[in-house]
Amino acid sequence: MAGPLDDTDTRSAVQAVLGAEHAAIWSAGLATAYLPAGEQTALADAALAHRERRDALVALCEAAGVAPAPAAAAYATPRPVTDAASAAALLAVAEDDTAVGWRAVLERTDDPELRRTGVAAVVSAATVGVRWRGLAGTQPLVASFPGMR
Amino acid sequence: MDRPPPSRRGVLRAAAGLAVAGSALAVAAACGNGDEGPDELEAPLAAARADAALATVAGRAFPDLAARVGPVASARRAHADALAAEVRRARPDRADAVASPVPDPPPPASSAAAAAALRTSLGAARDAGSELAVRAARYRSGLVASVAAACGGLAETLT
Repeated sequence: MAGPLDDTDTRSAVQAVLGAEHAAIWSAGLATAYLPAGEQTALADAALAHRERRDALVALCEAAGVAPAPAAAAYATPRPVTDAASAAALLAVAEDDTAVGWRAVLERTDDPELRRTGVAAVVSAATVGVRWRGLAGTQPLVASFPGMR
Repeated sequence: MDRPPPSRRGVLRAAAGLAVAGSALAVAAACGNGDEGPDELEAPLAAARADAALATVAGRAFPDLAARVGPVASARRAHADALAAEVRRARPDRADAVASPVPDPPPPASSAAAAAALRTSLGAARDAGSELAVRAARYRSGLVASVAAACGGLAETLT
């Protein structure tokens, strides 16, 4: 039976966004130590959304007999994380990376379920990104085309 | 950096690849959207233009709102430009239909009413775009999803 991962192009896009989701989960773990108490619920919600998408991607790979891309033990952050603002900036980068990864998946699959997950992920990255950019003090709060490289 | 310049042969091969990609897109466009009736992107295009006009009018009428609606106006203008360009490319027969500019809406009664009206229409654009991105042709799905996502984020800035 044909599956959404039969195409190599789709498969590599799925593996790439799985890598971005792993990195977003790791970034949320690091940021917990720096964000103020008032941001912890939003951070936990965002982290949960990334874990759910990661689990869905891993399940998709396993159902297709493809080894899912593993998480790294640690990631190099673009800038040092030392306080709430720099932690929020890292979270914004992690959200942007997942948006780019999911948009690439959307352009490489016709599978409605994968499309639905992907659109929701790009929307969620842009929405939660507003909070992290506000906390990091960066503008604009919203990119005109989230997910576009 | 210190990569050698591509050989003539390499450049020709790349150009041939582009030509193939170009014709594949034309076929996808013809299959994905039919040639009857309006293009599926005309509705999100009209919504983007209406939001840009409302955000511009609201920013002029309510200086306290200007900093928040300025980014809405510029993002929605960028969305309208990208969507119109895609309609003109895929459906030259609809070029006239997407050429018409939107008249300025009357200014809302108050700054709060303006923010609420924009928040509502951005939320609607986010939801409609999220649906369209699931069923649109692959090459359009990314653009439609990015527009929907920006609307979701912009609505959040007005809460």
